[in-house]
Amino acid sequence: MASNTSHSHEHHIVSTGTYFLTLIALVVLMILTVAIAGVNLPGIGPFSGTVVNQTIALVIAIVKAMLVITIFMGVKWSTTLTKIWVISGFACLTLLFGIMGDYVTRHYEYQPGWEKQTEGALPRGTPNEPEIPPANANNLNVKIRH
Amino acid sequence: MASITNSTDHGHGHGHDSALHHQFENISQQNESYIVGMWVFLSTEVMFFGALFFIYTLYRWNYQLDFYIAHEHLDVTKGAINTTVLLFSSFTMVMAVQSAQLKRRMHVISYLLVTMACAFVFLGIKYFEYSSKIADHLYPGAGFATDGRAAFGEHAMEAGKLAVNMNHAQLFYGLYFGMTGLHAVHIIAGILVIGALIRLWVNECKTVTLDYVATEMVGLYWHFVDLVWIFLFPLFYLMPKPH
Amino acid sequence: MSSTVNPIGEQRSKTKTEEVNYLNIENTISSWLLTGDHKRIALLYLVSTSFFFFLGSIAAGLIRYELTSPAGVVLESDTYNKVFTSHGVIMVFTFLVVAIPAIFGNFLIPLMIGARDLAFPRLNLGSWYMYMTGGTLILAGMIFGGVDTGWTFYTPYSSMYSNTQVSLVLVGIFIAGFSTITTGINFVVTIHKMRAPGMTWFRLPLFVWAMYATSLMMILATPVVAITLLLVVFERTFKLPIFSPELGGDPVLFQHLFWFYSHPAVYIMILPAFAVISELIANFSRKRVFGYHFVAFSSLAIAGLGFLVWGHHMFVTSQSMYESIVFSLISILVAIPSAIKIFNWMATMYKGNIRLQSPMIYAIAFLMIFTIGGLTGLFLGLAGTDIHLTATYFVVAHFHYVMVGGTMLAYLGALHFWWPKMTGRLYSEGIAKVNAVIVFIGFNLTFFPQFIVGWLGMPRRYHYYYFAPEFQAYHIMSTLGSSVLGLGLIIPAFYLTMSLFNGPKAGDNPWDAHGLEWETTSPPPTTNFLVTPIVLDEVYDFDPEAEHAADMKALEDAQNEHPKRHGKAGPEDLN
Repeated sequence: MASNTSHSHEHHIVSTGTYFLTLIALVVLMILTVAIAGVNLPGIGPFSGTVVNQTIALVIAIVKAMLVITIFMGVKWSTTLTKIWVISGFACLTLLFGIMGDYVTRHYEYQPGWEKQTEGALPRGTPNEPEIPPANANNLNVKIRH
Repeated sequence: MASITNSTDHGHGHGHDSALHHQFENISQQNESYIVGMWVFLSTEVMFFGALFFIYTLYRWNYQLDFYIAHEHLDVTKGAINTTVLLFSSFTMVMAVQSAQLKRRMHVISYLLVTMACAFVFLGIKYFEYSSKIADHLYPGAGFATDGRAAFGEHAMEAGKLAVNMNHAQLFYGLYFGMTGLHAVHIIAGILVIGALIRLWVNECKTVTLDYVATEMVGLYWHFVDLVWIFLFPLFYLMPKPH
Repeated sequence: MSSTVNPIGEQRSKTKTEEVNYLNIENTISSWLLTGDHKRIALLYLVSTSFFFFLGSIAAGLIRYELTSPAGVVLESDTYNKVFTSHGVIMVFTFLVVAIPAIFGNFLIPLMIGARDLAFPRLNLGSWYMYMTGGTLILAGMIFGGVDTGWTFYTPYSSMYSNTQVSLVLVGIFIAGFSTITTGINFVVTIHKMRAPGMTWFRLPLFVWAMYATSLMMILATPVVAITLLLVVFERTFKLPIFSPELGGDPVLFQHLFWFYSHPAVYIMILPAFAVISELIANFSRKRVFGYHFVAFSSLAIAGLGFLVWGHHMFVTSQSMYESIVFSLISILVAIPSAIKIFNWMATMYKGNIRLQSPMIYAIAFLMIFTIGGLTGLFLGLAGTDIHLTATYFVVAHFHYVMVGGTMLAYLGALHFWWPKMTGRLYSEGIAKVNAVIVFIGFNLTFFPQFIVGWLGMPRRYHYYYFAPEFQAYHIMSTLGSSVLGLGLIIPAFYLTMSLFNGPKAGDNPWDAHGLEWETTSPPPTTNFLVTPIVLDEVYDFDPEAEHAADMKALEDAQNEHPKRHGKAGPEDLN
């Protein structure tokens, strides 16, 4: 039970100044991202201005997240094992985004027609459900008993 | 037969005996176990919210213009204030943990109270935001606004025609209420946990006063809630215009 | 035994009069319901999962009975839908995912690594309560009208059309899912932080390795399905549009997210079975596991690949064909680590000193059945053949071969192997051996005809098949087999319960097995070990040649008394 003898993380007390500077940095980044969002940036190469704007907003968000994780959550001073688990959660999330691989390689568009009622199956809560149509001629709905 | 480690007299050099649970050898092992355990839990939370972020990505990618127009109803100022409030609460939380490490009890309690106050402010602002959506019938369901111009004003018009598909706008508000709602549920859970922690500190309960790790774990949770909002804010409030 | 140093035996000889163990230390109901002891929680899980397994089996029996006639026997079509959904939901979410990790993982991981308890005992107890809450809600849903969506809850049927208790059951699964997550967190932290001195990663029993891989998947995959099912609940109750096609949402997205969990969940079900089989094969072959590192890492490889193959459940949806090709390829790759395990186990048995006792019979049955299940998985992993076989009984037979033939047999094997450790009593080995054979025969008779009838075109989840009355023979065969299988599941309930009252005392190590859990008393004391053991060697330090020589010598010595025995030392020999 005492196989892991790492004591490095214990009671590492970070100064108030570090925390306060981090807070200032976070607020400044927040103001920056709001300011940039108001400007329609020009496109770079194949990427449109929308992509550039969105990328900048996300990069700022990631930087903010890194600040929170490393300093506020103390990962900077934590053990390797903790660091591995910090990374693994986010690494697994990238696997989840692999689902996107389906949507970029096929045609996905809004298919109208779902609002219409189909016979037999009605969405829940549909008022005035019509009578269930009688069994059709080829007997596929008929129950046979012997 | 080699030597035997007697488990009861091993590694208690820190004076933490009553904070140590029976299954652990020493306080260092116990603390790291708790912190790793908390991070493992947070990685499940990452996947929990991650699936929502993925759904958001997919629909936003597919319905860029509709989402852009629908997002115009959100109030960036309120969102920015809320972000600041949460960032500040993260700071007070981390100060509470630092005070717990230094065993300054009154500091811990006051910092935790400020954190909790921030959480209530956040929820209050959220309440006003939600009310304005509900007043304009922008909540999902059969009563969802059908008139895009009335809901989103001139943003929804392009060359005299309605440019927004209200079905997709409803999808946007479904995600908005789903994601910020689940985040708000986490805030409420955070308030309860912080409240419990304050109570333990006020009562000078040994689990928190002898060892800072309980406070640290609540702190980790609270920072995670902050982390989610750091991504929710730009994704919902700061959408660039598709062009 | 050379692997560890542990003078428990010496200590016990001093205080032999009255042994206090985790079972008899306290007897009040609250001492069980509020316990922090991982062994007691494991027994709580044993009782509760057995209850749910019983309910799921009744549903299975109803399905089989109904299918004996092409026109149905007792059930209405609507009821039939609800019965097969109940069977699926109960078996998957309250038995298969939970059983081996929560019972044997809970009981054995601290014992195997030499810890006093799991890292978070209260969380462990909490996970049992979450499991019970979830299970109760699922049952409530079944009682108040049932669910007719199938255990997969595909949208838009589950979100827009089904008028049954979908929300209640989904909330139940959501809560039960969190019980799985907390168990996983507990295992991971325990395996990382609580190992005994000298217990390095490569001295861990393979059981612990596979449990670690299982926990990884529990932790990282379960939240995805939790949120997905929660969104369906929201869609039903608050009209929150997420998967609604009428608003531009994509119902196939539900399947993506669902299988992103549920494919790893399949490995959550089978990896613990691998964990058990590694232990059984090594012990009853009396041999070091062949290729320890390969078996250990193949568990992790299965866990990793498990996250990359979800799309092979969706070949016939609107999924893009490019993605289908990629998923098909990666699915075939899963065969590699699985085959590594199978071949390594066979190599372990080769030239081993095999003792054909009941757990070993289950293990050998597992090898045969899992190989069939795995190979038919290749048929389904290939996008081309899958289009022919999707949603037929071939699929049903395949996953029952893997889950029932794999997980359930390993579960029974584990129950028989560690029963003496858990209860301190021996069951009747003769009946147990016969029963293992009954289970094997019953299982194959149930599910092998389903391969054939599925290949011929019998669709799954169909109530009637009078369009093809020639299928009746296969269905009757399958129903007969399920009766035999049912018998094979009822008999152990009797002889294991009997052993609690009049079984002989097991002794600390009735199988002559190696591993820390066998070094302590049976049943173990509440703190598992009276002193912390120090591990000096890996766990599988069997010496087959010396044992064989000893057996031969014993055989010669005992020739007059036992002329028919061939050196098989069993529990009966040791008492």
